[in-house]
Parts: sequence; C-alpha cells; structure tokens
Amino acid sequence: MSIRDWPIKRKLTAILLLISGLVLVLTSVAFVTYEVVTFRQTIQTHLATRSRILAANSTAALAFANEADATEILAALRYDPHTVAGALYDRNGRVLATYPARAAADLIPGAPEPDGYRFEGGRLVAFTPVAQGANQRLGTLYIASDTKAVSDAIRLSGIIAIVVLAIALLAAYALAAALQGRISAPILALAETATAASTRQDYSLRAPKFGEDELGTLTDAFNQMLGRIEDQKQELQQHATRLEQRVADRTKELEHRNEALRRNAAELLAANNELDAFAYSVSHDLRAPLRSIDGFSQVLLEDYATQLGDGGRDSLQRVRAASQRMATLIDDLLKLARVTRAEMRTEPVDLSAMARDIVVDIQRAAPDRPVEFAITPGLEAQGDSRLLRVVLDNLLRNGWKYSSKRPQARVEFNALEENGERVFVVKDNGAGFDMRYADKLFGVFQRLHSAAEFEGTGVGLATVRRIIDRHGGRIWAEGVVDQGATFYFTL
Amino acid sequence: MALLKAAFTVLTSALLLVQTPRASEYQVKAVFLFNFAQFVEWPAVAAPDPQMPVIIGILGEDPLGTFLDETVRGERLGLRPFEIRRYRELTDITACNILFISRSESERVAEILAALGKRPILTVSDGDDFAKRGGMIQFVNDKNRIRLRINLEAAQAANVTISSKLLRVAEIVRTPRP
Repeated sequence: MSIRDWPIKRKLTAILLLISGLVLVLTSVAFVTYEVVTFRQTIQTHLATRSRILAANSTAALAFANEADATEILAALRYDPHTVAGALYDRNGRVLATYPARAAADLIPGAPEPDGYRFEGGRLVAFTPVAQGANQRLGTLYIASDTKAVSDAIRLSGIIAIVVLAIALLAAYALAAALQGRISAPILALAETATAASTRQDYSLRAPKFGEDELGTLTDAFNQMLGRIEDQKQELQQHATRLEQRVADRTKELEHRNEALRRNAAELLAANNELDAFAYSVSHDLRAPLRSIDGFSQVLLEDYATQLGDGGRDSLQRVRAASQRMATLIDDLLKLARVTRAEMRTEPVDLSAMARDIVVDIQRAAPDRPVEFAITPGLEAQGDSRLLRVVLDNLLRNGWKYSSKRPQARVEFNALEENGERVFVVKDNGAGFDMRYADKLFGVFQRLHSAAEFEGTGVGLATVRRIIDRHGGRIWAEGVVDQGATFYFTL
Repeated sequence: MALLKAAFTVLTSALLLVQTPRASEYQVKAVFLFNFAQFVEWPAVAAPDPQMPVIIGILGEDPLGTFLDETVRGERLGLRPFEIRRYRELTDITACNILFISRSESERVAEILAALGKRPILTVSDGDDFAKRGGMIQFVNDKNRIRLRINLEAAQAANVTISSKLLRVAEIVRTPRP
C-alpha cells in the first residue's frame, strides 16, 4: 500500500514519529559527539597534567643523568592502566630511561618529537619539555596512552544514546497514537458521514462536531451542505411530482386530440372514397352519352354528308374530335381512380425488361420516328408490377413525346445511388421545362404545354405520383427549357 | 662566510657528539656544574642585583678546559648570565656562587674549606672524600658514571639550600664527628 493510501491515523502517527525520531537522532548524535569530544579533551588534559608532574619530578634525574632515579620516576606510570609506554630523553635526545624499564624498541620513538599532544595510531602521545624553573631545557618526557578509554566512552555514550532513543521513541509512539485522535477522529467522522450520505442517499444525516477549530468549521460547512442538499432534493421531488401531473394532463389532452384526429382522418378517408366513387361513377356514366354523341355524329357524317355541306361536316368533325378527346380524358381519370383503389401486391420486378416491352409497344405504334432508347439492363425493384408498368409507361412515353421535335431524339432509363438509396432516372433531350413550374408537374390537369403543341390530358404524371406515393417512394424532376427533362423516383 | 663557517662548526660538533655517545668525564662534570645552579638557592644577600651574573669559579689546575665555557655560553639563570672565573689563590675568591676545587688542591681542602667558612658558596670537587671532609658536593666515579655525594650539613651551615630533587639523585653523607 503506498503511503498516499495510508489511513489518516497511520499518517499522523508516522509524521509525529518521523519528526520526533529525527529530533531524537540528531540530539543523540550531538550528545555522543559532545561526549566524545569532551572526553578526548579530558583525557588529553589528564595526560598533560600527568606529564607535567612527571616532567617536574624528573628534572634532577635528567640534569644529573641518574638513570636509576629516572626509571623509578617513570615506574609511577604503572598506576595508570592506560599508559602504554613512557621515556625520558636528555637534552641531546638520548634515551635515559623508559617505562616499562625494558620496553620493546617499537614502543619508544628513537628521538623526541616536537612538543605537544596528539592522537597517533590509536594512541594519545605526549612530548613534554623537562626544565627546572624557567630555565634551560633539560630534556623531554614521552608518554603514550592507549585510547581504550576513549572507545569505552564512545561505546558507553552510544549505548546510553540508543537506550534513550528507544525509550523516547516508544514514548513518542504512545503519545502520537493517543493524540492523533484529536485530529483524525473528526475527519474520520466526517468521512463516515459523507460515505453514509452518498451510499444511502440519506441527506438527513449530520456529522458530529468535536470542537471549534478548522475541522469544526469544516464539519459545520459539511452539515450545512447536507441540509441544503436535503432541501433541494425535496424541492426537486415536488417539481418532479408537479411535472408528472402536467405530463399526465398533457398526455390525456393529446389522447383526446389524437382521437379527434383519427375521427377526422376516418371521415376524410370516407369522404375521399366517396369522392373517388363519385368520380368513378361520373366518369363511367359520362362515357355512354359521349359514345352516343360520337356515334350519331359519325352516322350524320356518313349518311347525310351531302345535305350538311362543307360547314356542317367540319362542325361535326370537330364535335367528333372533341368527344373523342373527352373519352380519352375520362379513360385517364378512370385509370387514376383505379390506381387509387387498386389493391397492391408487392413482388420483385425487373424494371429493365418492363421498359424494353413498353419501348417495343411505342415503336410499333409509330415505326417512322427514329428515337434512340438507352435502357440499362438488370434494374430491379420491389413493387406492384401492374402499377409500376403504368409509371414506366407514362415516363417513357412522355420522353418519347416531348422529344418529337428533336432530329436526334434520345430517351434513357437507368439508376444511381444517392445517400445509400437507389434512384431510378428517366431522361430525355426534349422540350424540357422551366424549373419555376417544377412543383406543378405532378398536379391533375396541370400542363406546361398546350395540347396543340404536345397532346395530353394532364393526368399522367398525377397518376405516376400517386403510384409512387403508394409505394412509399418519392418523385421529382429537373429540367431546362429546350434542353430536356429528367425524372427521378425512388420506391 | 663567517656565518657559514659557524654553521659548519656546529654541524661537525653535532656529528662529533653523535659519534661519541659517551661524553667525556669532564664534559659531563661541566654540565653538572652548570646544572647545580638550577637546583641550589643562595641567600638573598649573595645576589642583591637580579641581573648579577652567576659565577662559577675554578680553583687550582683547570681539568675542564673549554667544556664549561661552552656549556654556559649564552645561558641564563632567570635574568642572570653565567660567568666563569679561574682562581690561582684562595684570596682571589671574591664573589662566587659555585666553586669547583681541582684535584690539584686535594692537599689543601681542609684549609680552603676553613677559609671559605660560612660564605654561601656551593663547593664542588672530585677529590677523594671531599664530602666527608666538609665539602658540599663530591663527584664520584661509579662504573663509568658520575654520581653525586652531598654533605647536607655543610651546605646548611653555609646557608646554601639544595633542592630535594637534587638530594634525591645524590648520596647524602655526614662529616664524621671526631
């Protein structure tokens, strides 16, 4: 677990321990250092004092080269267990006496070294001048003391330091463990309350307050926040209830309206059906008198041609033409009505094959017009084949018809993909139209050209549009005057 | 040039010193005579002026040669310089602190000591039984070493104080009572 994730209790204890530990270690180091330095100074001072006393005592022995006396004086060194060796040099630097009396050669330097005290190779050595009074120097006293006393002192103060450190750290740990609660307890209480509030969504909880310090302020602020959340939650619930009521009201209202609409639609449908039925019966019923008018006009023309004269014949010819045109119109209207009423049967249809059939029909009817038809093979669609034939028949025949004034007339049938949707295209290079009237193309009886210019009833494209609508598709057209027209449809 | 010569002399004499570890008998005696001054106190009347020289006198034939002069050269006892005087006759001795009586005067020791009386002069000699005969310090040759024999009573009688340190390295003798 990384330190960052430690519980606050442990962090606080660790920080307190770390700080007190650091302080204690530094203090202990200072203590030991002080002890060692002081002790070294002390034993140096002791050695200096001892050396001076011995030097003062050994003046006569040196002055009068009395080896026995010098040896006896040095022998007093045996009372100091730390003294390793000693020697007296005369003024010429020759050894007069040594301690121990028969000292090993390596214990005694061959000649006196400069006066002073120094730690050398684990020993404290002292070279002290020997002089009587303030007078001329008589010789040099050498004393070497081992530093075991120093290392003993270091060990002792080290042990003391470690024991004190251990006890102090234990005490610091106990105090830290006891006192960290003053800080961690309010935080833990806060954390517990916060967790409980967020997991149980219970905002009526309040964190206990331990004092007036910053944590107390935090607790107050937290409790206030909880209170505000509680209020807002209640307010939100009220709002939600009100909203639900309103939604229910609106839904009911909408249901009423839907009901009304449905009724309207049904009424409209009924009226429409009635209208269709009416149109159908009217058209149907109109055909009989029309046939009579045409038939009797023909009889008149054949049987009474001579009595009628040129003017009469011409008038009757016009009557006949008009009645025939009216018959065509009625046929078209009946077709339109049938398209609306006919039942749909959806199946796969080969539009390319269907187009070729239609073209054959067109060319048989007018073999003397050289129109080039370009039909892309393999175009298929789902739909009612009878109705789709009406669509293709109308569009191809329109292309053929409106390109009649072109010497190189051309009609194409193909398809393209637009936004992942298949769009069928019928294109001609005929008279075209003005795009301003594009929306009028598909209205019943709406014509952009006069019957004299191009014959027609103005029902064909309306029929086409109704069929496309019934298939759930769209149809639109683009054109430029004298540049041709293009019809697009989807199914 | 003179300095260089002096340095050379010091160097050769130092070398000589190293080469002859045992100083000659009289060389040692000369040093001892000089050292006595540091372990002996004379009554204040003997040196009213603190800068008065310490006078070491030699009575009779001088066996020390230049050793004593070399030893005391440039030395001082406190503020007092050292001075060597050589006496032919007893009457020559005026102001003197340490008097070395040569062996040549052995026959006359009693006479000389009697003449000096209670004057505060440290008497030293290497003559036989000098201390027993009333002299203060006697050099005794002992197995190539020079030992000291001191007649403390004689010194006390002359009001000359000998340091206990000096006494410690010496043999104390008395003048035999007749």
